[in-house]
Amino acid sequence: MSLYQLHRCVYDWVRVGEVGSAAGGGRAAFDTAGYQLTDEERAAFESQDVAAMYRLGLHPVLLNRYCRAAGYARDDYRKILEPFGVPQQRRGRWQR
Amino acid sequence: MAEIVLAYCSSHAPMMSSARMAAPEEQRNNFFAALDQLRDEAAARGVQVCVVLSNEHFTNFFLENFPQICIGVGERNWGPTEEWLPIEKVWIPGHPGLATHIAEHTLASGFDPAFSHQLELDHGIMTVYHELDPRMTLPLVPIVQNCAVPPLMPVRRAYEFGRAVGDAIRSYPGQTRVAVIGAGGLSHWIGTPRVGDIDEEFDRWFLGRLERGELEQVLDMPDSEIELAGNGSHEIRSWVAVAGAVEPVRAHTLAYEPIHPWITGMAVAHWETPR
Repeated sequence: MSLYQLHRCVYDWVRVGEVGSAAGGGRAAFDTAGYQLTDEERAAFESQDVAAMYRLGLHPVLLNRYCRAAGYARDDYRKILEPFGVPQQRRGRWQR
Repeated sequence: MAEIVLAYCSSHAPMMSSARMAAPEEQRNNFFAALDQLRDEAAARGVQVCVVLSNEHFTNFFLENFPQICIGVGERNWGPTEEWLPIEKVWIPGHPGLATHIAEHTLASGFDPAFSHQLELDHGIMTVYHELDPRMTLPLVPIVQNCAVPPLMPVRRAYEFGRAVGDAIRSYPGQTRVAVIGAGGLSHWIGTPRVGDIDEEFDRWFLGRLERGELEQVLDMPDSEIELAGNGSHEIRSWVAVAGAVEPVRAHTLAYEPIHPWITGMAVAHWETPR
């Protein structure tokens, strides 16, 4: 029910460390108290659990930005997410 | 009236700036040679302002309010947002006259673009703009598209919006010489288990359609099918918009390199408009 709140929380955390957003102490001082997160969402965010955030439905563009900001190399987060990959049966019209 | 004297599209993977040397030398040289050629063309054709269509990456908009299109009508815009992108952070001049005319004209043509008097520009626009003008003084009209957060504008409508943008530019009073540029794509995956994959077959199919002017199958593709070539492939909306802006001119591919260290099918295509 609070998936939006998780998105907002992650987004705000990413933004607080970006250009022109350092006022207020940056990411180290970031406080999740104001976000209405479920216990699972709060645990995922606070433990920087990329797999859990993916499983919970965090938007992939935001997940990518989060991973970069949190220091996960792309190859590393791919390894974390690979178990959740689903083989694709459909084919696009460009595929021979 | 204003003229579109240059039209092209380029991929905009941020690593083209932040990890330039990570790409294999031959691929890197081919890709940047195409952008170098277009920079020279812009100078030779006396480009005075560029209109750049690219996509939103949660830089200006978030889930509370996510426009399908936003036109930057302000006197200046800031960029790049990303602290790690090795491009100087500067105020980039806008072109309020042309931008407002595009907004008015597209509104009168049945579109409902949002507008902004100050946008933050991320790698989506800044990488390609910086290659065009490293001094970053060329006036820029940014047009931000939603290519990531469903529901998305259908691809056909993005093409039709591009037609309206082209008509708007050509009806702008004065002798302004305009470049129309699309920045984004081609195939890539972001934030998913397939991050790092590239669908070379899709990229070559798409570029072939642009070259032959056979866009019908592209314009009819549902998002669920585009997604098969990666969630970043929705950024082809910027490319089809440029194709619409200069129709019936066909594209010519200047470079295509599936650059795995940059996790993206990196392409540059040029539409030969009148000089």
